[in-house]
Amino acid sequence: MRYRYLFLVSLAAATTLAALASGCGAAGKPTAEGTPGSSSWTQPRTAWGDPDLQGVWRYESAIAFERPADLKGRDLLTDEEVAQKEKQEQEQQANRLSGLEGAAVGRRSIAESPIRGNEYNSFWQDHGRPRRIVKQTSLIVDPPDGLLPYTPDARKAEARSAARYGVGPYESYLDPDTGERCLTDGVTALMWQGPNGGHNMIVQSPGYVTILHEEYRDRRIIPVDGRPHGNIRQWLGDAVGRWEADSLVVDTTNFLDRTNYEWASIWTRPTETLHLVERFTRVSADTIEYKITVEDPATFSRPWTASIPITRLADDTRIYEYACHEGNQAMPNLLSGGRADAAKRRASSK
Amino acid sequence: MRMGLGSAAVVIAAAAVAALLWLRSPPVSGQTDPYQAPRTADGRPDLNGVWQAVNTAHYDLQAHPARPALALVPAPPRTDVPGLNRATPVELPAQAVRALGAAGGVPAGEGVVEGNDIPYQPWAAAQKKENGEHWLERDPEIKCFMPGVPRATYMPYPFQILQGVDKILIAYEFAGTSRTIHMNTVDNNPTATWMGLSRGSWDGETLVVDVTDFNDQTWFDRAGNFHSDALHVVERYTRVSPYHLMYEATIDDPKVFTRPWKIQMPLYRRSEPGKQILEYKCTEFVEQLMYGHQGVVDPATGQVNR
Repeated sequence: MRYRYLFLVSLAAATTLAALASGCGAAGKPTAEGTPGSSSWTQPRTAWGDPDLQGVWRYESAIAFERPADLKGRDLLTDEEVAQKEKQEQEQQANRLSGLEGAAVGRRSIAESPIRGNEYNSFWQDHGRPRRIVKQTSLIVDPPDGLLPYTPDARKAEARSAARYGVGPYESYLDPDTGERCLTDGVTALMWQGPNGGHNMIVQSPGYVTILHEEYRDRRIIPVDGRPHGNIRQWLGDAVGRWEADSLVVDTTNFLDRTNYEWASIWTRPTETLHLVERFTRVSADTIEYKITVEDPATFSRPWTASIPITRLADDTRIYEYACHEGNQAMPNLLSGGRADAAKRRASSK
Repeated sequence: MRMGLGSAAVVIAAAAVAALLWLRSPPVSGQTDPYQAPRTADGRPDLNGVWQAVNTAHYDLQAHPARPALALVPAPPRTDVPGLNRATPVELPAQAVRALGAAGGVPAGEGVVEGNDIPYQPWAAAQKKENGEHWLERDPEIKCFMPGVPRATYMPYPFQILQGVDKILIAYEFAGTSRTIHMNTVDNNPTATWMGLSRGSWDGETLVVDVTDFNDQTWFDRAGNFHSDALHVVERYTRVSPYHLMYEATIDDPKVFTRPWKIQMPLYRRSEPGKQILEYKCTEFVEQLMYGHQGVVDPATGQVNR
């Protein structure tokens, strides 16, 4: 097993990073219930008969969210391309190990960083091992071109947001994005994104599936007892679940409008017209096929669907406390920096 | 009409029986109550549900009289009335909270501490008093920080117990805080935490939760009761009726107290059909308070407007 050796090498980095970032609870041991694709696998069930989705889960693959331009018109990679990407991924993982200190760290973009895999913010994303390479060319499977169907206005908002992120200006505490303000990055990408790699713990009790997302300690207590939607708008909306065969289907509406805030990515930004349908299907001991369909005429010209493989981590994996707001030194520092910049501008304009 | 000796005896006997029944009737704790909780699929007492404390422990764990506000200033004396000192009989609300009027008042409470005494070391008793006097600047609740344990239990917000087998979640409404109670073996936290590390076990009808690995940032109430990072809490959750849990917490901290001490209170089931824990994302509510003093930069001039 090629990954086993790399896992051992990576463990040292994962341990180091656990002190830096709270999200590195991962280990590469197989889970108790067997290996993926084993033919003897049967859908595990809770004591009351629902499919059992419990455990700590994380998105472990390296699939582009939107289809890259060079893969236009193609759903799948060739075997050669997969091998090439695996090689690249392993190199990047090794680079993450080598560059935890020194001048090479902290460059803002891949283009500026001399060590690929080690650019600005990459340590937040460290998995402790190479990500899985699969043939799927984009997480977005519909529309068929694999691209977000933004409305023209939303595309402008996205360009504005991308230009501001990590740059500013920081005129007020409202200028950092919702993540930097320790609020949330939005429910749309909860299951597969997040600065620490998106650890999610699922716990089931009769009538409820609860997802505890490590980042921002976002929490969804999803009733699966047939109740209708409520009428209270919330940041994470109002979720109701149901079982369809062995899939958990979660329907979420009633989002709060916080479009007047800065969002790192406009596609995760909820509006009052957002309607999410998520489908969790456990397809093997350690894989959930997670499908999300996003419908929001305020942002998208048509619904889009992403299909995301989510991996179950070892039984002893824990998620940790995320005291973001409690320790948000970045906020006063950003604001002081913004004021120092303003003072310089005033001085130079005199 | 005269009562015969015999009928008097019957009345007295009846009164004695009634008195005995009355003495026995209030279910004061899990130990004296024979109530058996319904069972989960794996045979454990079923603690699932939305629960809430209904008391004044969030103001002050100890017995306290009513007062006009949490933040007080001395009332100015009136010395211009010969023969009278007509100062207002109570201290006045501090300027910052005066506009709240009666909505900012503190209701009296009997307290939830066994024996009503919190056994502070002398330095810590002085610290507690000072904390209370600087409530507005120091109470982590005001900044929407995670409330810690046991404070999260008796804040005036509901919480939900979601009972899995290996993990039991407690989902608090305040600040969207969650706790995982590990029913299986786990290592200690790599660092100190606001909500601690919770390890659970069953003692008959009771869920016992041993909580360690705390930081020293949380308080026990709005009165300034506090602890250090050596805090160790042992909680006991026992169903005592279809609608009540009895909650008990033994609090130990050798850096702050001279001995362990205990609080106890009933928790009430929120019985509204479909009752859910809603969002209380208060980070958004306190940004102006915490960062507003930095003002807003005018992009045209670079001036900072406060």
